[in-house]
Amino acid sequence: MESFLEIKGLNYTINKEKILNNVSFDIKNQGDIVCILGPSGIGKTTILKSIAGLRKIDSGSIILNKKTLTDNNNFIFPEDRNIALSFQDNALFPHYTVEENIEFGIKRSLFCSKNKNGPLKYSIDELLDLFFIPELKKKYPHEISAGQSQRVCLVRSIIHNPDLLLLDEPFANLDQNLKEKVQENLKDIIKSSNLTTIVVTHDKYEAFYLGDYCGILLHKKIVQFDTPYNIHHIPNSREVVEFFNRGVLVPAKVMSKDTLHNEDLGEIKGRFMKNYQRGESVNLLIQPEDLEHDDSSNLKFKVIDKKFRGTSFIYTLKTPSNLRLPVFVHSHHEHLHAQNEKFGIKTPIYIDHLVCF
Amino acid sequence: MLSQKYLKLPKFNYWFISSLLISSIVCIPLIVISTSFFGELSGYYNLLKDTYLYLYIFNTLALLLGVLILTFIFGVGSAYLVSFYRFPGSTFFTWALILSFAVPGYIYAYSLTAFFEYFGNLYSILKFLFGEGNYNDYIPRIDSLLGSIFSISFSLFVYVYLITRACFIYQTQSQIDAGKNMGFSNYQIFKRILLPSARPGIIAGLSLVAMECVSDFGTVAFFNVQSLTTAIYDSWIIFDDINTAYQLSFFLILFVFIFFSLEKISRSRSRFNIPSRGYRTIEKIQLNGRIKWLAFLLLLILFFFSFIFPVSQMIFWIFKFPNNFNFINLLDLTLNTLQLVFFTTLILILLSFITNYGMRISESKLLNLVTNFSLSGYAIPGIILAVTLLGFISFISNYFNNDTLKMIFIGTVSGLVIAYCVRFYSLAINGIKTGYDKLNKSLDDVSYLMGNSKLGTFLHVHFPFLKQNLILIAMLVSIDILKELPLTLILRPYNFETFATQAYVFASQDMLEFTAGPSLFLILFASLIILISKKNILKGF
Repeated sequence: MESFLEIKGLNYTINKEKILNNVSFDIKNQGDIVCILGPSGIGKTTILKSIAGLRKIDSGSIILNKKTLTDNNNFIFPEDRNIALSFQDNALFPHYTVEENIEFGIKRSLFCSKNKNGPLKYSIDELLDLFFIPELKKKYPHEISAGQSQRVCLVRSIIHNPDLLLLDEPFANLDQNLKEKVQENLKDIIKSSNLTTIVVTHDKYEAFYLGDYCGILLHKKIVQFDTPYNIHHIPNSREVVEFFNRGVLVPAKVMSKDTLHNEDLGEIKGRFMKNYQRGESVNLLIQPEDLEHDDSSNLKFKVIDKKFRGTSFIYTLKTPSNLRLPVFVHSHHEHLHAQNEKFGIKTPIYIDHLVCF
Repeated sequence: MLSQKYLKLPKFNYWFISSLLISSIVCIPLIVISTSFFGELSGYYNLLKDTYLYLYIFNTLALLLGVLILTFIFGVGSAYLVSFYRFPGSTFFTWALILSFAVPGYIYAYSLTAFFEYFGNLYSILKFLFGEGNYNDYIPRIDSLLGSIFSISFSLFVYVYLITRACFIYQTQSQIDAGKNMGFSNYQIFKRILLPSARPGIIAGLSLVAMECVSDFGTVAFFNVQSLTTAIYDSWIIFDDINTAYQLSFFLILFVFIFFSLEKISRSRSRFNIPSRGYRTIEKIQLNGRIKWLAFLLLLILFFFSFIFPVSQMIFWIFKFPNNFNFINLLDLTLNTLQLVFFTTLILILLSFITNYGMRISESKLLNLVTNFSLSGYAIPGIILAVTLLGFISFISNYFNNDTLKMIFIGTVSGLVIAYCVRFYSLAINGIKTGYDKLNKSLDDVSYLMGNSKLGTFLHVHFPFLKQNLILIAMLVSIDILKELPLTLILRPYNFETFATQAYVFASQDMLEFTAGPSLFLILFASLIILISKKNILKGF
């Protein structure tokens, strides 16, 4: 089956500096949401601008719904692509009111190409309500906050009913509480309107919530493209692990097809994600949810740090060989463990997916 | 079905080519002057070098220094008072000071001379107040250099005032609060915080003043100051030596180019003053007691000397010699001036839109370079611009052996309009560019993505946004055309007078009181334009 969007081998250079290096990924189905995750300044926005036709790539191809937008011989101008991009920085027209800014996306006037998709099923008022800014219609951009501007940009991009919606850090200026509500409504709108969407963000929780698929952009290329679950639990390289900065790599030896051995933790059982030879030395990824707490266990380590995360505590334990292990404990656990106290780990250790490098 | 277009490099689009063509045409006088510098030196040039050349340069420098000092004091002082303090008349003076922009230096010179001359107006006032007396012995004579310095300073300090004020009002209150928190007095805050951060703006304003000052002709010619511009005029008109005129102009342009670059650099550095989020407008301090009346008095004196004084002089003459009106045809003068203003402004706005938009979308370094070079055309003295254009049109006509061009452009209104366009091209380009600088380029991208073509983006995004700038440049260009003297004097059709030329013709024949009619109408029209657009002018700088 052909993908709805196919991006192959994008290369982009500015002043001899490589910005994108052979970036490839695709969106299988119309209406899917893909999130591109990566640190700041890595080229995430450049990918969006290349897809929108605002950057002319050195090589590679972009095919949307069986139509070649860009390749070595063809280039469709941005105005003919029917792609909407919500910019990270404030991109509202300063001389138009919020309402006029939004209408700019739907009113087709002189020297403006037609949108074949027709109107979106949501009205401007409905969208403004869903993004909690119904009172802003008559205001000018300089009269509203950065977070409000960002939501107006979102409305403007969506109301356009594009073939492809591109969102560049769409929630960067929103506080956590509002961000979650806006994310919920945005996802609902996108899914019910069947809008294919690419979201660029550096917030993994945002990406994991919104995305049907996530791409990890590191070192100017997509190093992993998978479902949020797999990206989180089965990272495919050390660099992805380092990017998420959530687990630790502990040295271990492969004992059998489902067993590893570590000097401090002893025997660890589980499913290997790759095949390893018996006796092979590997580094096993241990994430906070991989180890379980058990007060009655004989395997005990000293607590050196404790982070309260609302629904959970993440304890950091120090092993005799100086490993620092993160362990997740539900915040309703009956008692807390103070620093330097001994903390038990349930044995035998079983980890559903053994990710080793 | 989406239309597929083959990839085109933006630098080859129509906008780019038209912009490059326009800027290149404006560059012609500069190229003619620059190349002639390397031509053969005439006997007159050698004679000049051995005799008066250094005097001309010295006088130009002395004039420049005097004008820079005075405009700095007038411009920065008044901008400081109206930006940071509230006192009687502070709102009025904020815009009223701009009115002095309506008075050209040469008209100021007529007033100054008439006031201080033997049995002049000062004498009449003293006689009226104190009866007959030998007042002439006590009335100071206006030295020609000093007179030029005062006349030019009063007519140009507005540049410094406007740009410095813009820098001052965009300072954030947080800076001032930080200064207070560190225990600074108001004077220390001004000296250590406000002045340094407004410095780029002040330098930009002074550079504009310097450019105008060294290329001034009307004032120095009236006062008979031997400066580089009068030397250029003499070389051409008296000694019929165009090459020497070009070579002297080259010196002048080099001079001006320094200020031009300084102004550009300073303007780009003054960008840190542009407010962003977190910016807090300054809270004006209410002055009390004697201080508030002192501030009022200082600005009243400045307003009086820069505007009321020359205007009242002209009004006085009109009432004293009402029959002088019989020597001028007001309707003709008005129509002549207005048609020049209308056509030039229209063409300039069109050209500056095309060039600015071309520069914005093509992002071509070549186009930027050519346009920046062409902008220095503003610095070419009107006389030289006139001569170069005449020379160029004659050259082309002779080359093609066809006199049509000569008939269209020499001694005609269309020729004059073209010359004005070259002269004020920089003003128009910069006026639109200032607006474009405030329009984030990502907004163009948004517009393209909403389906607008480049022309659609121009019509639906740029044009509505730049309307304010358009009004501003239309006003500024109109005022400058009203005041422009040497260019009009040389290129005007036979028997075609504007307010400026008519006043000059009378002044050059030592009929000073006859200048009142055209001068007053010139000031009246310019003041009217300023009053209509005062908000745009105050915002636009």
